[in-house]
Amino acid sequence: MSELTKAIKEKTESMLTADHCLSCTSCMAGCPVMEASREYRGPKLVGPAHNRMRFSQEDVEESLDFCSNCKSCDRACPSGVEVSTLNMLRRAEYYKTHPHSQRDDMLAHGERMAKLVRSMPFGASCANLGMKIGKSLGIFKSIGIAGERDMPAYASKSFLSMFKDIRQTSSEKKIVFYPGCFINENDPEVGVAFVKVMQKNGYEVLVDREFNCCGSPLVVTGYLDEALEHAHNNVARIYHWKQQGIPVVACCTSCSLMLKKEYHELFDEPEMKEAAENVYDAFEFLAMLEDEGKLNTKFGSLTHHLLYHVPCHLKSQGFGTPAAHILGKIPGIKVELADAGCCGMSGNYGFKQDKYDISMKIGERLFERIATSKADTVISDCGTCRLQIQHGGHVEPCHPVEILAKAYGEG
Amino acid sequence: MKHSDTIVIGSGLAGLMAALTSARRGKKVTLLTMGSGSLSLNSGVIDVLGFDENHAFVESPRKGIETLPKDHPYKKIGMDMLEKSVEAFLAFTKEYHFPYRGSLDKQIMVPTAVGTLKPTCLAPHSMDGTGFKGCSKVIIVAVEGLKDFYGDIIKENIRPLLGEDLVYEIVTIDTGLTGGRDITTLDVARWLDHDKGMTTLSEALKPYAKGSETVFLLPQILGTSGHAGALALRGKLESEVIETTCLPPSVNGLRLQKIFYEALRDSGVDIIEDTKVLRAVRKGAKCTAVVAQAAAREKTYEAEKFILATGGFYSGGITMREFEHPKEAIFDLPVWFVPGEENWSNEQLFADKPQGFAMTGIRTDENLLPLDGNGKRVYDNVYVVGRNLGGYDFCFEHSGNGVALASAYKAAMM
Repeated sequence: MSELTKAIKEKTESMLTADHCLSCTSCMAGCPVMEASREYRGPKLVGPAHNRMRFSQEDVEESLDFCSNCKSCDRACPSGVEVSTLNMLRRAEYYKTHPHSQRDDMLAHGERMAKLVRSMPFGASCANLGMKIGKSLGIFKSIGIAGERDMPAYASKSFLSMFKDIRQTSSEKKIVFYPGCFINENDPEVGVAFVKVMQKNGYEVLVDREFNCCGSPLVVTGYLDEALEHAHNNVARIYHWKQQGIPVVACCTSCSLMLKKEYHELFDEPEMKEAAENVYDAFEFLAMLEDEGKLNTKFGSLTHHLLYHVPCHLKSQGFGTPAAHILGKIPGIKVELADAGCCGMSGNYGFKQDKYDISMKIGERLFERIATSKADTVISDCGTCRLQIQHGGHVEPCHPVEILAKAYGEG
Repeated sequence: MKHSDTIVIGSGLAGLMAALTSARRGKKVTLLTMGSGSLSLNSGVIDVLGFDENHAFVESPRKGIETLPKDHPYKKIGMDMLEKSVEAFLAFTKEYHFPYRGSLDKQIMVPTAVGTLKPTCLAPHSMDGTGFKGCSKVIIVAVEGLKDFYGDIIKENIRPLLGEDLVYEIVTIDTGLTGGRDITTLDVARWLDHDKGMTTLSEALKPYAKGSETVFLLPQILGTSGHAGALALRGKLESEVIETTCLPPSVNGLRLQKIFYEALRDSGVDIIEDTKVLRAVRKGAKCTAVVAQAAAREKTYEAEKFILATGGFYSGGITMREFEHPKEAIFDLPVWFVPGEENWSNEQLFADKPQGFAMTGIRTDENLLPLDGNGKRVYDNVYVVGRNLGGYDFCFEHSGNGVALASAYKAAMM
């Protein structure tokens, strides 16, 4: 291989992957937003094609705003073009010269808000009440947040404060749990179930209070500079644990995708790639234990027919669906894959008033699947997918790790 | 490390067929894919052999294959396996409510978006040009705002092919889908998945329908699920409806892809998407595992048998960074090519001569196991299928999906 071809091959910067686009339209066929809306010109044009015009300063592609960063285009692409990342980089570029709306500021900074709420006595209850009142008065709607949805309620206790009360059996084998904002603030039971599962497998779970939000909500709303600050902090923490040989494990698939892959795609810093090697999705980690013959399979019997909605951001991690396989080992459990595409929520996308209809239209296939399936429980690894399933599918879904924890029985 | 009986790499027609056939034999199959495969870019009709070496039209694919040179993939696959693969494919499409028709004895003529007729071997009813027979009027249905389907061009080209004595009329349908971005056949097909769209279309066409006298010629828009859309419209109009091939995204290819995925799920195939297979782990004459790239780390997948269906130059299954050094990246299999710069390509792209570069690919024995330049077997358990195979120009001879189907079937049965 000549020096030049080698140099080209080794360039991994996302911007440069655009040049691999053959304009084949695979991404267009796979894009759920294009299916739901004709306002979005589609990944091929908005991503790689428009990127070729990157030298033109004034060039703004209005319909870029419609991309939800679900990454269906990246998965469809036969040539490795990081289409959605191109879109997010471009979006950030746009906001360098355009003001953010109050709505975007709010949707991007859930972590900031949560910190404020938690700092007040009865903060969570007050905030939940406030959100209910706010919704009925149409305050959210007035700033561009989908009035049809409930804002996710704060749990009375965050995961991190619940964690203090969990008595674990200590072990030589340790992992650090990265809860992410949604599990920590809204759905701490997932974290509790995860701790139980790891304990049953002989691991002691640690937490690291210096981690902050992975930055996914910031990236999709164009606050890329802030996302980079988060990345630097989190990557340093991951390194810290890596040096001690302790892996970092997440249950939220958007968090794990951000830590494992998107940081590097967006910011192209070698440290990010190296740190990523120490980050695992929960079921990816459990599947690795299974491969080594170390997964505790002393399951009690449960009677469940599960419908598994696999989140887009799990699909983008390229290791298949180990949760389906592992849960399938539990006596009395049947796992059915929903295979209904993207749910339409895409993090904070579905919370935007002007994207609500698109979000719900994308979700139709999944909602119909839920309505016609004989399953008694819907499972999904992603917190915002679960919100969408609740809202549009009218069922109470849970995280697969909660089923696994149940299978390990009491105590 | 996951262990399977069979690992299939690639999700084009060859990969999907290989995975399905293997699973239906009771094998534990893992399908590793990167990208969504070729079917969204592919008309989804099965060309077995349309033209011979001299670019003469082949009336019967079965007879045409007899005349092919001994190194052609069909000669390795054999007529018996080709027949069985066609049988299996027809049965599978019927089972999943998207029945294909056709046989190896006679071509089906499929209308194209420019109004020509192209030969194919197997096609769904809605693309079978046989339906023109006996009609006296062809209604060409254009769609407002749909590019790449021009009624006038179609009319001009198809008139001498179907007969000057027939009446040709162009009707343009307003779907109400205009006003945003450019629409594609896929947008219109999705619109026709719903009753509202189908009713609008059938009401607009009804005044032109005169039973068996009329044939409606449409772009590929009749729904995204099997033959449901075509059946519905045919029922409402009581006339034949025929779709042309179109530019991608290909609705018909996606219909075929959809039933393949349904069948793969039903047969318990484990599908790992968005993972690029990087290299093989070798032990003697056997491959024991492949290593694939997942986010942040590599994963190893073990199996007894491997089927390579990553495609040719277009999909990166075969690459050539330096002239006359083509590579197959995963197993590092020897890649055969036509030597000599002067033989590499024919500057007339649409000429009636094959392209040298298109012959590039892996040579195999009759078991579809890869061979080196001296005819020596390179692996005992790695089978090569579809566009990874060398020695044929699928574009020139119209044999792409046929080779894919038959080689995949054979590899799975070995």
